[in-house]
Parts: sequence; C-alpha cells; structure tokens
Amino acid sequence: MTEMKTAITLGNASLKKKLNAIEGPFAYEETAYHLPVAYALTGRPVHTAQEAIEVYNLTDENPFVACESVLAFSEQGPGREPAPYTGFIGDAVLRKLGYSLVDGSILGLALVIGTPGNSDTASRICRELQEKYMLTFLAGDVVPSLSSASVKLGLEYRLIPLGSTSIHGVHFVDIITRVALMFGGVVPGDPGRLLAYANQRAKAIAIVFPGLDNEGIALVDALRLLGIPILSLGGYEGGEWTTTLPQDAVREGMERKGIKVTVTAIPIPMSCSPAFEGKSIRKEEMYVEFGGGRSPAFELLRVKPASEVTDGLIRVMGPEIESVKEGSAVPLGIIVDVAGKSMRKDFEPVLERRIHNFVNYGEGSWHVAQRDLIWVRISKDAVKNGIKIEHIGKLIATKFRIDFPDLLDAVQVTMVTDLQAVLAGKKEAEGIYEERDRRIQGMKDTDVDLFYSCTLCQTFAPNHVCIITPERPALCGAISWLDGKIAYEISPSGANQPVEKGVVIDRDKGEFEGVNRFVKKASHGEVERCSLYSIMEYPMTCCGCFECIALMLPEVNGIMVVNREYKGDTPSGMSFSTLAGTIGGGAQTPGFAGISKNYILSDRFLQDEGGIERLVWLPSLVKEELKERLVKKLNELGHPDLFEKIADETKATTLEELVAFLDEVQHPALAMKPLL
Amino acid sequence: MVLKALDIYKLLPKKNCKECGDPTCLTFAMKLASGKGDIDKCPYLDLNAKNILGASTRPPIQLVKIGVGERRFAVGEEFVVFRHEKTFYHPPGIMFQVSDIWPAEKIESVTRRVGSEHFVRVGTDLTFSGVAITNESGDPDVFSKAVGVVEATGTHIPEVLMAADPVVQEEGLKKCGNFRPLIYSATKDTYKPMCALAKKFGSPLVVSAKDLESLGEMTKLCNAEGITDLLLDLSFPSLRDYVPAATEIRQKSISRSAPELGYPIFLDTTRYEMQDTALVLGIDKYAGVIVTPALGPASSVATLTLRQNIYTDPQKPIQMNPGIYPVGNPGKESPVLLTVNFSLTYFTVQGYLESSRVPCYMFIVDTEGLSVLTAVAAGKLNETLVRDSIKKFDLENLVSHRRLIIPGYASPLSGKIEEETGWKVLVGPRDAAEIGDYLQKEWKI
Amino acid sequence: MAENSPDLGGKIGYVVLGATKAEDGTRSVSYRLGGESDLPFIGMKTSLGSIPLVAFEICDDPSYWSPIVTSYTGDLVSDTPEWATAAEQQYGADLVRLYLTSTKRRGFDDFPSITKVTEDVLSGTGLPLVVEGSNEPAIDSEIFQRCGEAGQGERLLLGTAEAGRYRSVAAAAMAYNHSMVAQSPIDINLAKQLNILLREIGVKADHIMIDPYTGSLGYGFEYSYSVMERIRYAALKGDTDLAMPMIASAMDSLSVKEVREADPVIRDDIAVAWEFYAALSSAVAGASIVCVRHPKTVPLLKLAFRELWAGKKPGEF
Repeated sequence: MTEMKTAITLGNASLKKKLNAIEGPFAYEETAYHLPVAYALTGRPVHTAQEAIEVYNLTDENPFVACESVLAFSEQGPGREPAPYTGFIGDAVLRKLGYSLVDGSILGLALVIGTPGNSDTASRICRELQEKYMLTFLAGDVVPSLSSASVKLGLEYRLIPLGSTSIHGVHFVDIITRVALMFGGVVPGDPGRLLAYANQRAKAIAIVFPGLDNEGIALVDALRLLGIPILSLGGYEGGEWTTTLPQDAVREGMERKGIKVTVTAIPIPMSCSPAFEGKSIRKEEMYVEFGGGRSPAFELLRVKPASEVTDGLIRVMGPEIESVKEGSAVPLGIIVDVAGKSMRKDFEPVLERRIHNFVNYGEGSWHVAQRDLIWVRISKDAVKNGIKIEHIGKLIATKFRIDFPDLLDAVQVTMVTDLQAVLAGKKEAEGIYEERDRRIQGMKDTDVDLFYSCTLCQTFAPNHVCIITPERPALCGAISWLDGKIAYEISPSGANQPVEKGVVIDRDKGEFEGVNRFVKKASHGEVERCSLYSIMEYPMTCCGCFECIALMLPEVNGIMVVNREYKGDTPSGMSFSTLAGTIGGGAQTPGFAGISKNYILSDRFLQDEGGIERLVWLPSLVKEELKERLVKKLNELGHPDLFEKIADETKATTLEELVAFLDEVQHPALAMKPLL
Repeated sequence: MVLKALDIYKLLPKKNCKECGDPTCLTFAMKLASGKGDIDKCPYLDLNAKNILGASTRPPIQLVKIGVGERRFAVGEEFVVFRHEKTFYHPPGIMFQVSDIWPAEKIESVTRRVGSEHFVRVGTDLTFSGVAITNESGDPDVFSKAVGVVEATGTHIPEVLMAADPVVQEEGLKKCGNFRPLIYSATKDTYKPMCALAKKFGSPLVVSAKDLESLGEMTKLCNAEGITDLLLDLSFPSLRDYVPAATEIRQKSISRSAPELGYPIFLDTTRYEMQDTALVLGIDKYAGVIVTPALGPASSVATLTLRQNIYTDPQKPIQMNPGIYPVGNPGKESPVLLTVNFSLTYFTVQGYLESSRVPCYMFIVDTEGLSVLTAVAAGKLNETLVRDSIKKFDLENLVSHRRLIIPGYASPLSGKIEEETGWKVLVGPRDAAEIGDYLQKEWKI
Repeated sequence: MAENSPDLGGKIGYVVLGATKAEDGTRSVSYRLGGESDLPFIGMKTSLGSIPLVAFEICDDPSYWSPIVTSYTGDLVSDTPEWATAAEQQYGADLVRLYLTSTKRRGFDDFPSITKVTEDVLSGTGLPLVVEGSNEPAIDSEIFQRCGEAGQGERLLLGTAEAGRYRSVAAAAMAYNHSMVAQSPIDINLAKQLNILLREIGVKADHIMIDPYTGSLGYGFEYSYSVMERIRYAALKGDTDLAMPMIASAMDSLSVKEVREADPVIRDDIAVAWEFYAALSSAVAGASIVCVRHPKTVPLLKLAFRELWAGKKPGEF
C-alpha cells in the first residue's frame, strides 16, 4: 500500500527537482499552443527553462506544468520515444479527435495508468472502453503489459500509448486543455474558464492500477481539480480516489461523468417499429396471451438506486415460452426497474404508460390497457421466429434506453410468469397505483413553484402560450402538469418549459408575476398578462385545440361551457365552431376561454368568478361523462342539487329558454356578484 | 385602439332585441370585435357609443369593390400586418395594361385574353383580374374609343381608366361608368372634378401624391367631397420606396393610428424597368390593385401562383377533392396508397410517386385538409372514414387485390382499418421521400 | 421613406462567410451578413442590413441534378470546378453552394474524392463557398470532417444540420472555424430549439444561419414565407435564439410539375420565373442568402437586389 499524502508530497518534490534540472530552449512540435497547460493557465508561451520555472511558480507549483516542461525538454529530437509511443500529439491530429468528440463518434476520454498485476485485467478494461466508444490514453507500465497480451495499440484502435513513464500522462491533460481552447471558447490566461470547461464539459475519466510512482501519483491526483473522476483499482491508502473493482471501473467512471452509450438496435428476432403499433393480433393468430381477464397480469415501473439496477438485465421468473401450450392464457407481471440521476419518483406513471407503446412496436406482440388491466398477446409467427417472453423484456428495456437516453442510465426488466409470484406482485403493485393516484389527485397549484408551458400550437397560433398547472391541465386536455414536467426533463429545449410562478399578483384570478413574464416573452411580446383562474380579465390565450370553450353569459350572470363534439346551437347564439373561429388563433378574449374537460372539476375552475356555481349550461354528453365526479364534487361543496340546476341542450338552446330554466330552478349564479 | 368583444358589449344596449340579425348583443359584439359587423345595424345605440364604436369597429382598411358581375372583385378590409397572424383576405387585382394609341385589335386581344385565360391550381381557377386603359394620346375621343373597344369584347372584366385629365376621364366613364371601373387618379389639382366623377358614376377612385403625408391629406379632402371608396397610389418614382411605404400604411391603418391611410394600395408596375420585381413586391406586400403589361407565359403562371400562395389562409390549408388519383398508368394490380386531402401532402407524395416510376393509385380521403399527423391525432382519419371512402370511390372494382398502403404516421390505425374494411393494411414510410424505395422493396403482388 | 416600424429593439446578429488573404484565407471577397434592426427593405436611414446574396448551386454528381439545368448548361456540369468558375465569372453569383450529391450513390465510400472536390472548387472560384455534405447519416462523420478540413481557413458555410442530425456538421464547423446551416421543417419553435441545441454543444450564434426550409412556389412556399417573417419578427422583438441571418433555397423549384412538364420552348423561362419569384419573396420575408440553380436567374436577382438596396455592394453596410 502506498500512502497517498506522502506520495504526493514526494512526487511533487521530485518533479520540482527535475524541472530545475532542465536548461536552454525547447518546444513541442506541431502545435500553436506552446506548452498547452502553461499557456492556457497563464497565457504565457513557454520556450525556455527560465520561463518554465516562472510559470511553475506563478501557478503554485502546478505538477502539470512541471511534467510538460520536463517532457518538452527531454523529448526533443532524438529524445523522442520510439513507436508504439506517440509522445506529444500535434494540433492537426487533435483537431480530428476533437471533431470526433463533438460529433459523438467518441463519447469521452480515458486515461489508464499504473502497473497492472496481470495483463488480462488491463486488456479487459481497455476492451470495455473501446466497446463504449471511449478514446483511451495509456502511460507507463500499462503499455508493455498490454503489448505482452497482444492487445493492438494505436489511434485506429482508440488505444493510444503516450509514453513509457507515468508523467507521460500529462499529455492526457494537454489534450483536454487544447480541446477547451479549440472548441470550448476558453481563452489563454483564464484559468477559471479552463477549470469550468474541464469540470462541466470535458468527458474524461482516469483508471489507475496499483504501483504508480510518486510523480505519477502527484500528476494523477491533480486531475481531481479538473473534475476528472479517478477510479483506483487498489493499492493506495488515504487520499480521495475512489476504490473500485476492475469490472465496475469503466461503468462507474462513465456514470460519474454522465457519459452515456447510445443504444440504437433492439437485439431480438422480431421487427420493432412504430409502424406496427396499430397491428392487432387476432385470437387465431395468437400463440399465447396474458391478462385481459383471462389470467392475472400487471405492469409496474419503479425507480431504484443505481446500485440495484443492472442495465440490460432481463429475467424471466416462471415458465418460458417453450413450456407454454399454444393458445393458452398465462399470468404475467412486467416489472421495469430504472435508475438515472435525474429520474424521479413522480415520473414513474408517465414512463410506465410507454410500456404499452413499446410492446406494440413489436411486429408480433400486442398490448392494451395499463396497470393491472393489461392484456398482452404474442403471435404464432413471432414464436415461430424464435421470440420468447424474455425478448419482450429486452424490447421494453432497450426502447426505454433509446427513447430516454438522458433520463435513464440503467433499465432492467423482470417478466414474471409464475402464478403465485404474479399474484403477490400484483397485490404490491396495486398498493403503489393507489398511492400514486392519491399523490397526483391531491396535488395543488400551491404545492409547486413551477408551472409548465406548452407552445406546441404556435405553428398555427403564433402567439399562443398554454400554462399548465397541477390543477389546470392544458386546454387540449392532452397534457397534464406531470406530462409537461417530464417532457421538459426529456427534452430541455422543447415546447414544454418550466415557468416560475414568482410573486402572486392576484390570488383569486391566478395572476403571477413569473407567469406574466414568461407569457410576454413566449408570446413574442403580444400578451402582457395572463390570469389562470379567471375568464373575465386577461384570460389565457386560445390556440384552437381546446376541448371546450367557457364563455360568460351576461344576461344570466353565469358561465356556459360547450365541448367540441357538440354541434348544435347554444344559448349564446353561437355554435362551438363559430365560437372557436372567433376566439382561436392565439388571441386573448376576455369573457371567453378554451379549457379542457377535466378543468371543470378543478377547484381552480372559474375561481375568480365564484367557481363552479357560475356554471349554467353544459351539453348533456359532457355532463354525463363527468357526472360521477361532478356530483361527488358538488356534494363536497355542499351543493348536492346543483348538478340538476345546470342546464343542457334538452333544457335550453336559446338565451330565453335558459333564463326561464334558471329562474325556475333558482340557479345560484342569478344571485351572485354581477359578472360585469 | 382595438376593442375586445367584452368592451364592445358593455357599450351595447343589452336588449337582445335581435333586430341586428344576431341572436344576442354578445354575438353582435363578437362580430364587431372581429371587424365583420356593421355598427349601424343596431337601432338602439346612443350617439356616444356609436362614436366610440364607429372608430374602432369599422374595418381598419376600407373595402373597395371594383367592377360588376361575375368578375368583380373587392380589395381592402384586411386586419393584419403579417399573414400568419390570421390571413390576408382580398388578393390584389392584377390588371393588364392597354393603351389608347394601340390598334384596336391589340387592345381587343389583350382584353379577350384576360377574359378567357385561366389556370387551374389545386382545384382553384386562377385568372388575371382586368385591364387598365391608359390615355397616352391625350385625346378624349381616342380614349373613349379605346374604352369602347374593351367594352365591345363583351368580356365584362373590371377596368381601370388611367387618364389624368378629368375631361378625358369623363369621356371614358361615359362608356363604362356603369360597371364600377376604377378611376385613376385624383391629384391635389384634380381631386374636385375627379370626386365629382366618382360620385356621378359610383366609381372608386385612386388618389396620387408625392408622399404618405400628402396622400393622407388627399383622402381627407376626398372624404369631404363625399368619396370614401379610395385607393392610395404608391407608384413612386423609385421602386425602392414601395415596400417601406406599403408597410407603413398597413401598420398605421391596422393600429388605427392613421385612419386617413386606411385604404387599399394601388401600384402601377409599368413605370418601372423591373416589372417582375415590382409585381412580386406588390403581391407580397399589401397591394390591392396592380397594373402590369400583359405578362408572358412564364411570368403569368408564377404571378398567379405567388398570389394564390400569399392569400392562402394559413389556418385553413388548401384541400384536395377526395377521390382516387392515378399516377402513371396503373392497372388492376397496382398499389393503392392512402393519404389525406391536405394539398401540400398530396403534391409532395404525388411528386415522389411520379419519380418512383411505379404506376399506382393515390387514394385521397377527406380529412378536412388536415395533415396525416394531425388528422390521426384529431381522430379525423379513422377506420370508418377509410371504409366509407373505399365504398364511395368504388375502390373494390378498381383493383383486383385488397391491399392498402397507409402513411407511416397512421400506423396506429392499421389494425382497426383491417378489421373495418377487410383489406390488408401495409404501413408505408413516415417520410414521403422514402416512398419510392418502399414501393420497390415492399410491393409484390 | 421614413423609419416607420414601431421600435422593435432587437437586432439580427452577424455571420461572416469567406476569408480573404488579409483574413488568412484565399477568397477574393468575404461577406458580413445580418445586422438588420427592422423588417426587410425597411430602415433605410438606420440599419438596412446587408444586401441579400445570391448563391448559385452546383453539385459533384450531375446525375442527381435537374435535367433542365444540365441540358441548358451542357458538358460544363461534369467538371465541378469549372462549373464553379462559371458561377462566378459568367453568371455573376455572390456565392457558390456545392452539393456533394456523389454521396447519394449506393454504398458510397470514396471519401478522398470529397476532399478533392472541395479543394478543387475552392481553386475554381474565389467566391466564398457553401458546402452541402453527406446525404446519408451513416457517413456524416467522415464526410463533414473532410469538408471541414479541406476548407480550413476559408470560413465556409457547412450544411445542413437538422434536429437529430447536427453533431457532425457542428463538429466540423467548430473544429475548422466554419459557419453552419441549421435547418428546421417550417416551424419557428423547432428552429429555435435547434439553435439552442447547437449552442449547448458549443457552436456560437455568429456561426449559425437559419434555414427554415423553403417550399417551392405553389408547393408550400406560403408556409416558408410566413415562417421566415415570423422568425425575423421574433428576432427583432428580442429573441436572440432566432436572431441569425436566414438562408433560403426553394430547391424543388425545377422539379415541380409546372416547370418539369412545361413546353420545352419556354421551359427555361418558366424555371427562371419559378426560382425568381420564390427567391425574391424569400428576401422580402427576410432571407439574407437566396439560392438558385438556373444560371439565368442569377443576374435577375442581382439586379433586383441592387435596385432595392440602393446600389449597395454585397457585404457592405
């Protein structure tokens, strides 16, 4: 065991000594960046021993500066190490490497250094790095170790042997530095920006075998400042390196720097594409089915700590397809465990819904409904082609990785077909569904600081901005607050953006400073103010996709709602389509608002106008659709009789009929504060 | 100041008397707010309300009608500066110029051409709008005769009488004044007699002046003479000044900050060397009437197409007639490709099909002009529509097979369509560009 | 005419194309685009911005080009560098836009030819160059790397990046200091989104030109026209993510039915009209570069722009 603290001190002292021993002028070849680290940190081009020492002192005896000065001096001309060693890498090659990094054909950079105990471990690690599109640099004893195991080295193999000593590892640093200068807009002499770039943007890791000399330890330890995770495979005591096992080192390092391998192919013997989404599998085409009332079945997606999820692991608990009789119904539990740094518990239901699409993407697999109501079939053709239950799990896992590359780091799927296990799992899942429902239903606008915007419709309603809150879904009814939130997480520059509420301007009207600011900007300056809970003053703009239109009827002091499907006349004298034509297109029309059906049930519905008691007319179809929940809500509000007092087209299609009806039933709106 | 429906409603009598023709005062207010109502239809408005509403609810740009009969057209009554804000309603009239010093046959042939020439694009007939007769002779009789030649063709197309001298103008009007020709033009010196003529014959009038300020003064003077059907002449000496001036007029009239400029624009491109350029600028930027020399075949189609493009309602896409459209010479075994009746989709797909050289049928169903993606999302494209369309267009007798290729974005419907129609559904690519490849690889009978 | 738009506040950013000897390149001219603070054509007294440039489009495999152009131009089209020379000297274009159509060939793998043709075209013309690289995502990386390298120092405009396929273009632009074309499918929000993505990987705003996708006249041109107006207006109102100059190419103009099937006697005239009307209208809507393929369209557009921009020279303010 090497004690780190002592080693670093000794290493730095030794580097200083070497630095003091160099003399005369020197330079790296084929670079415009002089000694790159020294140049980036101080802006000073170093070409003599004197300048090197000055910069070394200026940078608080930075070990990188010492290493690069020593190497630039010793490797001049005949001092250059023979092949396979590359030594310092010139700008032209570097530009290509940088290109590959931006381009995505290289995902990141790795330094592998130290003295591997056996060459198998070293070559395994290097192979894993190759497979994960990392460009790997090698310095010191690791090079002969790999050569002895006949590992091919060189740029074309993405394994670059920098030099024979540990301090050749500094070339790894001068490469990161020059990438920052060439691609990152970092200016020489601005160490702050260099460090910020290295920490935030450079995708680099270091893997250290035991047996590094003191100079190497000092050099590698300094990488921590650049935000490079150092994965030690043991042999070092104290210090702040992460000790890990050889089989975990690459994955851990990449996870720590957020380097992700993109998955594109689904390795199963069945075509998978959205093109097959609508394909159904008829009974006579089916080999096996699950759920749908024929057998117990459920699906559940859970977020788990990274340590509990093995990416790509698919397990089948219970009988596989071979032991299933053709035409039978089998129990099924689909359990998807996911891990990801930005994954959160409240995303679970939204992601879980995707299982439905993914299974349907399979040419011979079919899926309907959700949760414990699912119904899944696999076709005879698919089974003939070799599809197993395991493959459905693979399909799900892989599609999640493809569709949510930034959100999910690991996905594992368990397909349960054992009856007892399914029953037990289902019971547990039902508990989770209930808990989720409670959480979402209970969510109030006051519980959150962020709302979400939706500007999807700006293609045809240029200045329209939808603001989506927990209690007010998008006016199209298709996007809830949670959907907006997850859409933002997945695509941070997309059409759903977080909107800070900011200071409350008017609690009843639902006017917020932050919302106003956002709406003004997103509407290109056209809309200055927006009240979320009022239709009379500065209501939200309307795109054209609204499920319903709410509008005030001054004559009865109330508000009516009409839905898109309702084709007849309304008491306002205008049909839905006439109204839609007048208020759509992104305009703000006081007295009118586009709303979703579910918003009618919200506590924030018409809050400023007095709530649901203002509702005087609603087509019977919607009334019927919402009946159960609406009645429940009205009971809670202490208006058990209000449901019957809300007119529909069977009671009134003209204003006169409506007035008569409302008078007769003594609708509360008549006695409320005047709307105008 | 632009009033919202609710502000207007507050000023109305709230009697719901229905005498305006609308069922409630609110409905009437909505109409006024969108600039499409007529304030005078309300018999119970007090004077104060009328004054406030009159200024803010009449269309910001005067509607001016030119010509009579089938070929008459109207310009003005626009509500936005950019077409994406809503739409442009009234495409400019494009008038071919003829001169009174030309031989009668030449005048006649241009007139007849405008009368009969038409191009059909996406189901719409495109025509030029009329002729502009210029008085180059300076002679009232010659002018009158030229107008007579135009009239004698019996084409009944709208006319512009381009004679600066009121005496000459009157001679022309005597020949065609009953048919609402456009009078060109009144200047500071001639506005009184010109207005008198406009009044006498009920004709619209172009006013000319050196800049926008003077044009504004001119319209006020003409208003005082009782003439409100006016156009503003923007044929300034340099074409460079056209777009800035036209834009300023549009912006100020829409914002109602200069009501005296709230009239359609007149542009005479014959004054410029670069007539195509002037035409494009006029069509793109707000012209109401454009005079041009008779265009050659190339410029003709391009001009009419550009005008059609700019005046397409961005919120109401052009629709194709649903039905079956053969590509190449398809037979009983040729593929059938279903798509929507959004014209852009149709033409894009048609283009790629033609270049694929696979004879086939395009099967266009009525999605009310929605694109595939939106039609699927909105439920407009569904299995019953497909089933009914197969029946309606007798697809079953047209081909011997029972296989239907649907767009990639309609894939969620494939199963339902199969069930509903009994046809086998093949899901095509999402991108029309890949359709050729797809047919080559996938279509086997 | 007076400055008359309401005070908008925003301003279109600059993009520089081409590098002259003084700028360490070999072009005979370089252009600075952008700078407008009002609607197109307006703002004579303050900042009218740069006069729109006319780019002439050529390609390295004319079998993928419109027969209208190839039959009008003749053998010249099979000598790409000579074609570029003609674009400059005979047709009078401001820019040459080279499409590497050879990459459309099935199984294309002759990568050295990409370097060569780019270098040869750069020798063939002194005009700044737009290079349209790969047609196949699988070879993007190799192609753009070569385009970028071959044009190092020349400040090319490299195209075309789309959402989901922008990394190689961006990488080449960043590695070799070129600008790039960011194309979105006729949608202001997608245009903005792509610009944000590019910013996130480190492309600077002054290295991006927006291509809102231009449909040809009669085939969706109206959508493109309006989206250009919207992008321009949003930028003038202060949206810096959209405040880049725009490039418009109604590249299907020569293959639409009206042109393709026109009477051979007037087919060239129809082709020119179709290109001219869309290109001029694109400039009216705010495009800073308009691209055409028929040699006869170039002088017409140049003349129109010179007249409307008060006799300014390309790149001059």
